[in-house]
Amino acid sequence: MSTGVTDQFPGGALAAWEQGEAQGRRALRQRQARILMFVLLGWLTMLLVWQWGSAQLPGRVLPGPWPVAQEMWEIVASGRFVRHFLTSVTRTFMGFGVAALVGVPVGYAMGRSRYWRAFFHDGVTISGTVPALTYAVMSLIIFGISTIGPVLAVALVSTPYVALNVAEGVRGVDRDLIKMSEAFGRSRREIRRHVLIPTIVPFVYAAVRLSFAVAWKVEALTEVFGGRNGVGFEIRREYQLFNVTGLLAWMFLFIAFMLVIERLLAVSERRLLAWRPQERAGI
Amino acid sequence: MSTAVQRRETSAPTGEPAPPPWYATDLAARLSSYVFGLLLWIVLAMAFERVPGPDEVVVRLVQEFQLGQVFGHFGTTMFRFGLGLLVAAVGGIAIGVLMGLSPISRAFFESPVLVGLSIPAIIWAFLTVMWFGFGWKAPVTTVALSALPFVAVNVAKGVLGVSRDLRDMSRAYGVSRARRIRELVLPAVTGYIIAGVRFAVIIGWNAVLLSEWFGATDGVGFRSRYWYDANRFGGFAAWVVLFVVFIVILDRVILERASRRAFRWRDES
Repeated sequence: MSTGVTDQFPGGALAAWEQGEAQGRRALRQRQARILMFVLLGWLTMLLVWQWGSAQLPGRVLPGPWPVAQEMWEIVASGRFVRHFLTSVTRTFMGFGVAALVGVPVGYAMGRSRYWRAFFHDGVTISGTVPALTYAVMSLIIFGISTIGPVLAVALVSTPYVALNVAEGVRGVDRDLIKMSEAFGRSRREIRRHVLIPTIVPFVYAAVRLSFAVAWKVEALTEVFGGRNGVGFEIRREYQLFNVTGLLAWMFLFIAFMLVIERLLAVSERRLLAWRPQERAGI
Repeated sequence: MSTAVQRRETSAPTGEPAPPPWYATDLAARLSSYVFGLLLWIVLAMAFERVPGPDEVVVRLVQEFQLGQVFGHFGTTMFRFGLGLLVAAVGGIAIGVLMGLSPISRAFFESPVLVGLSIPAIIWAFLTVMWFGFGWKAPVTTVALSALPFVAVNVAKGVLGVSRDLRDMSRAYGVSRARRIRELVLPAVTGYIIAGVRFAVIIGWNAVLLSEWFGATDGVGFRSRYWYDANRFGGFAAWVVLFVVFIVILDRVILERASRRAFRWRDES
């Protein structure tokens, strides 16, 4: 009785199903369009509030969006954008390099032995609480005004991230895989090379992605306190010149650059680690 | 007797490992890490001429207490910090609840909050000093603006996490609105609010220090800068010890405990 309908109209059910599917897709598209509209509305409101504020406040206290956009264009066109951002981002990634060199062994030890986990636990958790100002000024005191200061500050900030992530990765290494490798007579070196390291690398990468925003801000802060070039130095200069337009222009470039790099890191992480089953499931 | 011993011996390799000797317990490991940190500091102080050693910092610390500088500056800073946090918490909770309740308001607030999260505290510190000049307004505004988006994001996550099924079911069974809020929404959201406030405290503390460093004539940040500008890094390091100890106690001891209590319902299951 129940099968009679589909037997009679073999194409009917299929057509209804397709119709329903199309309807669902349309509804989804409509909802996405509405969401997008409200995202744009959010941006628009921000700009309007800014414009309104700049009209209300006297003089050059808060320049409107348009002068700031012009200033941004000038900074980009004059080549200062590329020069200073390249300097700062190079230092940030040098800091990440140092953080990986220190953080990977620490994290490895933390993941494999209970003693080292307890040993490093307090230091790693407390360092996330310490104000960024401390790292910036400490690296200045140690190295003075130099290019190494920001690198050290970035390394200090991001090493705990790397260590914690690697520790988690090492603890998550498939014990069975190691046992099987041992059973098949693989040497310790081979196990490290083919089992441990491939498991750890994604966690180092994730740590860099997670700590990029924090590290990037600390890098700029260190340059504010004592740099001769870089984004932070430019921000400091605009402040000393009392140039609000310039400060806002550098701020928006700073934010845009940070969001782009974060997106790039996320995309490249997915590409590089696409072979991992859990990553594939995540997409 | 003998069977118990035997059982322990046989189960040792598979079951619970034997308790470690005294020098390998967790407590010993933690204590030795502090000793190691102190040694590292001494070595650094000897290697770099500009890095003050622990002895010098302790002397400066005692001196600052004797001069009566500590409590005055801390009081000033605490007032600014507290007021800024209050503004950030109220505003952040309001925006977070709105973001959690509907996808449309979430879409609307998404970009402003993202921009707010990306602006470093130093920019707010500079801008507010240029706007308000030296005084209490610049630090309070810096704290509020830096911390607000972090509260909003966390509260939104909490409101989103309230189980829709439970909400629908309790409505269907005619549970009163007051009881729904008290027994369903609040327990689910409280933990996230505390998590957001924890972020806000860490971000806000850094913000108030930066703002006072550049635009105040009193407070913890100002006093640290005073020593830094005088090239007396011992005095500066003494203040670093003070403000780091303060935030670590606030975050690790007080707020972490509150957060664990608030998430008790979740972690027990």
